[in-house]
Amino acid sequence: MKRNFLLSLATVAMLITGCSTDDTSDVILNVNNGEGSGTGGTTISGTYTSDLTLEAGTEYTLNGSLIMSTGTTLTIPAGTTIKALAQGSDVYIAIAQGATINAMGTSTNPIVLTSNASSPQAGDWGGLIVLGKAPINSVSGSSTSTSEIASLPYGGTNAADDSGSIRYMRIEYSGGSADGQSENNGFSFYGVGNGTLVEYIQAYEGKDDGIEFFGGTVNASYVSVVNSQDDSIDWTEGYTGTITNAYVKHGTDHDKGIEADGYNTDIGNNSNPVFWSKPTVNNLTIVGNGSGTGNEAIRLRAGTQGIFNNVSLQGFAEGFDLDGDQGDSPTGAGVISGDLKVTDIIFTDVTLKVKNDTGSSFAESDFISGDGNGTGTDYSTWGSGWTVQ
Amino acid sequence: MKHLLLTIALLTSLFSFAQNTGSISGKVLDKEYNDEPLPQCNIIVKGTTKGTTTDFDGLYSLSDLEPGNYTIEFSFIGYEIQNIPVDVLAGESKEINVSLAASAAALDEVIVKTSVKRESETALLLDQKKAVEIKQSIGADELSRKGVSNAAGAVAKISGVSKQEGSSNVYVRGLGDRYLNTTMNGLALPSNDVNKKNIDLNLFASDVIENVSISKAYSSRFYGDFAAGNVDISSKNYKGNGFFDFTTSTGINSRAAGQNFVRSEGSGYFGYYGRYDHNPFAVIISHGVDPVNVNSPINVGYGASAGKSFDFENDSRLSLFATASFENDYEYRKGQQTDFTSVFKKIFPETEEFEYSTTTTAMLNANYKIDDNNKIQFNSLFINSSSDQVGFYGIGGNGFNRDSQSTVDSEKGFFQKNIQFNQDLIYVNQILGNHKSGDLELDWGMGYNRVNAHEPDRKRFSIENYQLSLDNDPSTNPVFFNNVVFDNQRYFQDIKDEEFTSRINLAYELSKQTKLNLGFNGRSKTREFENIRYGYDIVDNSTTINDVNNLNSIFNVNNLNLNGGGLYDIKVINGIPEFGNTNAPGEPENTYEGKLDVYAGYANAELKFGEKWLIVPGARIESFKQRISYDVINLPANEPGFRQTNNIFLLPSLSIKYALKEDQNLRFSASKTVSNPEFKEMAPFVYEGVTQRIGGNPDLLNNPSFSTIYNVDFKYEWFMSRSEIFSVAAFGKQINDPINLVIANDATGTQRYFRTGDKATILGFEVEIRKALMQNADEDTTLSAGFNATYMHTEQDLKSSTGLYSSTLDRTDELQGASPLIINADLSYTPTFGKNYKPTANLVFSYFSDRISALGSGQLGNIIEKGIPSVDLVFKNKISEKFELNFSAKNLLDPSIERVRENTSFGDVTLSEYKRGIDLSLQLKYKL
Repeated sequence: MKRNFLLSLATVAMLITGCSTDDTSDVILNVNNGEGSGTGGTTISGTYTSDLTLEAGTEYTLNGSLIMSTGTTLTIPAGTTIKALAQGSDVYIAIAQGATINAMGTSTNPIVLTSNASSPQAGDWGGLIVLGKAPINSVSGSSTSTSEIASLPYGGTNAADDSGSIRYMRIEYSGGSADGQSENNGFSFYGVGNGTLVEYIQAYEGKDDGIEFFGGTVNASYVSVVNSQDDSIDWTEGYTGTITNAYVKHGTDHDKGIEADGYNTDIGNNSNPVFWSKPTVNNLTIVGNGSGTGNEAIRLRAGTQGIFNNVSLQGFAEGFDLDGDQGDSPTGAGVISGDLKVTDIIFTDVTLKVKNDTGSSFAESDFISGDGNGTGTDYSTWGSGWTVQ
Repeated sequence: MKHLLLTIALLTSLFSFAQNTGSISGKVLDKEYNDEPLPQCNIIVKGTTKGTTTDFDGLYSLSDLEPGNYTIEFSFIGYEIQNIPVDVLAGESKEINVSLAASAAALDEVIVKTSVKRESETALLLDQKKAVEIKQSIGADELSRKGVSNAAGAVAKISGVSKQEGSSNVYVRGLGDRYLNTTMNGLALPSNDVNKKNIDLNLFASDVIENVSISKAYSSRFYGDFAAGNVDISSKNYKGNGFFDFTTSTGINSRAAGQNFVRSEGSGYFGYYGRYDHNPFAVIISHGVDPVNVNSPINVGYGASAGKSFDFENDSRLSLFATASFENDYEYRKGQQTDFTSVFKKIFPETEEFEYSTTTTAMLNANYKIDDNNKIQFNSLFINSSSDQVGFYGIGGNGFNRDSQSTVDSEKGFFQKNIQFNQDLIYVNQILGNHKSGDLELDWGMGYNRVNAHEPDRKRFSIENYQLSLDNDPSTNPVFFNNVVFDNQRYFQDIKDEEFTSRINLAYELSKQTKLNLGFNGRSKTREFENIRYGYDIVDNSTTINDVNNLNSIFNVNNLNLNGGGLYDIKVINGIPEFGNTNAPGEPENTYEGKLDVYAGYANAELKFGEKWLIVPGARIESFKQRISYDVINLPANEPGFRQTNNIFLLPSLSIKYALKEDQNLRFSASKTVSNPEFKEMAPFVYEGVTQRIGGNPDLLNNPSFSTIYNVDFKYEWFMSRSEIFSVAAFGKQINDPINLVIANDATGTQRYFRTGDKATILGFEVEIRKALMQNADEDTTLSAGFNATYMHTEQDLKSSTGLYSSTLDRTDELQGASPLIINADLSYTPTFGKNYKPTANLVFSYFSDRISALGSGQLGNIIEKGIPSVDLVFKNKISEKFELNFSAKNLLDPSIERVRENTSFGDVTLSEYKRGIDLSLQLKYKL
């Protein structure tokens, strides 16, 4: 039996053949060059050892990895759109330790990093990676760890490290696979310090997490994650910044609204003195697909701590799932000591508010106070204009 | 004690009757083999009941002979009988020295037509006694007696050697693969496995082996990359007059029996796969993913060997030997597996793996003896080795994944399926020569090796809510776990190795006391590696799987999401630019190329001082070049993509033998050697198993690019009789800048190789005893026992590494891959019934203690491979001259094979555990 498959429409044709002696088919590929429409304009990629300043009004195509080395600045003016080649993980922008990004969009002229495919899909390209010198708990002292994507060093001892400014930036269709286990996120903050300004950012239609914090102290305000296929907001490795006003909305494919680890469980908590992730999250809204569809809004595990103030969770089977143990992942101990708690919250269409798999026993009231008092974030105000739904 | 009394009695009688009788004594030499003594040669005084055999040193004596004319018959099993007339006078002792050769010769010489086989234990012990270096061998006779079916089993019977159960790993003195070298007839052999430096010794069936030896002390003729030992396989070297034999065998594994066995679709019964010529994407589009059923899992084997010699003028003789065999093996492993870092990432409380493996071996050997001084040999060996594995992880519905997205129950129901076929095609071709002229002897060899190792179309699937497939409720069904697109994937990997290898040794015998060796070795090796992987990206994660055993109904081309509405997209990491990375063929995901060039010259001298001392100083100068270049995913953009090193090594060695007595030696050896990283240790590519990931680290070629090793050995050996030995040895090694496998600082718990410290030290002690326990009336040993044990203490100071990859280490630990205790023992019983019926029963025991499989970086504990005892029972049963009916029962204890992560906050976490089952086998051998 010999079959031929005709895939898609034609401008480029390619024949894969093997002189079939078995029943392996010849595949004739006719591709209508769906990805290539955006190769016009200026292409950018490569490792920059001097500053790169993009010009307003120019159309940019990112056709590989763009890495800003230590001491350099990437300047992206308001209104700039960078279209990334839909080639998966090797297409990304990385701001190395000691480099800075200066991306100052406005609510009417946001900066957009997106896919250049004619019908873009989640995972078309990598995303934005920022690496800083703020503390992480996977290593001790001034040691550094190596990023999942791009294999660049991050972490250090400077909590006030400054990686620049990101304002009004939207990242779309990112999350290409790096290998069988790692995927790019929308925004990845690796050990980024709180000298960095991050506000008004959106991750839209990402294949992996929307925004992930790998340690560091960076504060992020006005954070929107819509239709992320994995976790919308993720933190690990001892992240201790403050997230103020965050809005998460799930699409059809999704994982948790927030997935939080106290440390990177693949490496261990090697900090000395020991510390855990412990961000403060103020004004948080997570919108799920209804309690009947199952899933969890927030999973807290591996010893993470955190202070949640004013939360609104809508449409989940479980509100909080706390995982841990009495050993290396003392999530429950954080609740008991008051290092992991929620003040003022409202559950709407949530079946089970708190699930305790930590191995520690505590009452729901030890974890949550002010149930019914939460209002969440006012997304309709700050999210209007520059975000997409 | 009885033995001693008997000896005294004999001596007494010798003295008392010495006056009235005569005696004959002498030495039988083996002209074929450098005039070495020929042990076990039968000597009969015709017309009397007197007779003897030559001892270990080829010596014999016949005493108490009445004066008169006799004919002395010299015979050796399988050889022509020769008769020598002799006149014995009273009170006189005659000395008759016989030098036996393989061909007819002048009339005044005493000649036995013979061929030399370095196969018998006695011959090999002799070899060991004479050896200039510390070396141990095991030959075909012993292999056959102990029921060893291949070279891996063979080396595991040698002291200080252990074999990792259920894998091809061999350890010498507790040191593993990376510290060993394997050669065949002194020429480098390739590895069949990307993850190994040494070839799988299981691939060398006993039929193609003359003997296997392990040299544990360095000699300048070995490559400088030497640490624990050099394994040399001498290929079968037939010289006899002609034979043909045929074997057939059948067997069963106690755990495989009765299972509904499965294996992958697309591979054949004989271990071949027919789609290598196709683009992997075409294979994916055209062929399904489900494994296929196999009929009853019964092992079979067939083999035939034939040899024939042709004589020409001027003593020329051409000997041909050919052998071909096929055997297969079914194994079923039920157990558990866990992926643990500092938390449980995956737990599979119940796993099952089906493995169907085949080995096809063919060897042709042509040996042309031009004359007594010139010989040429040609060997060609082909091996096809295949393994077809189907694994189900999380059967019973109790699998756990920490990243579960299940909306039903995130604590259970995670399930993975892995269906993989591996085929290794190995070609070895060698030409060897030996030429003598006066005091000069030239020994040379050239070889060309090639390995094609394929892993075509491995399929791996991840499923959630698997318990719903077991509940007999057709309305609830599992879904795919689709966290990343490669959670459901098809994978293709190809490795091609090519190697040219050569050696020349010129020996010059200045005098009886002094021999000089000058030599050259060269090898040039390349490896090309590439792989590609396609992920099935499930369009709608709520797509249910109605039948987990029929994934073909989902992953067929009709459901490909070409224009919307399909069930899945096929993703590739490196798309071809025009086509993108969705639903189109891609470029290889990872490639690397390794190159190794070694050229070396050496010189050593064998200096005898009197009868007692043998001193061998030597030196080797080696030019060593190594390069690895790679294009693998997820490297930093500024990574140059290659590392290389050029070194010149000057490696001195000294070995001293002091003969305490005729049958006792003291040996000492000291040397400086190096250890070089292997391609797989340097290539940053990561191989992903179901529950573990192992990758290389090119920084191993940064300064320092090699480990310097200092070796010292002491050994005392006592050859108590021709088949008995007692030896003790102590050894020490210092390995500077050692390489260890480390669970790195890596976001995914990948194990990688690092130079983990300034030095590792090894101190060890070794003891070996082989003893005859019972003898019959003919003084043949009927019950004998062998025991050997190695105890080793290793210690290294660990330090953190940075570079492309990093590890956090700050402690003292044992050397990775080293077992402190290794024990081998065997008991052999050979009674004689009637005239010819002489069955042999052997009980073989081996044990190695826990060893570190990977060092844990930072807070992570070490991965430990737990110690395993094993017992095999083998019956050799020669029913008649033509038939042999043999039986074996292997792995009788059926121990748990276990890997454990130590010192976690959960205590020791079992990473994998399974049992292999007992192998029963029956073999019929027919000899024409």
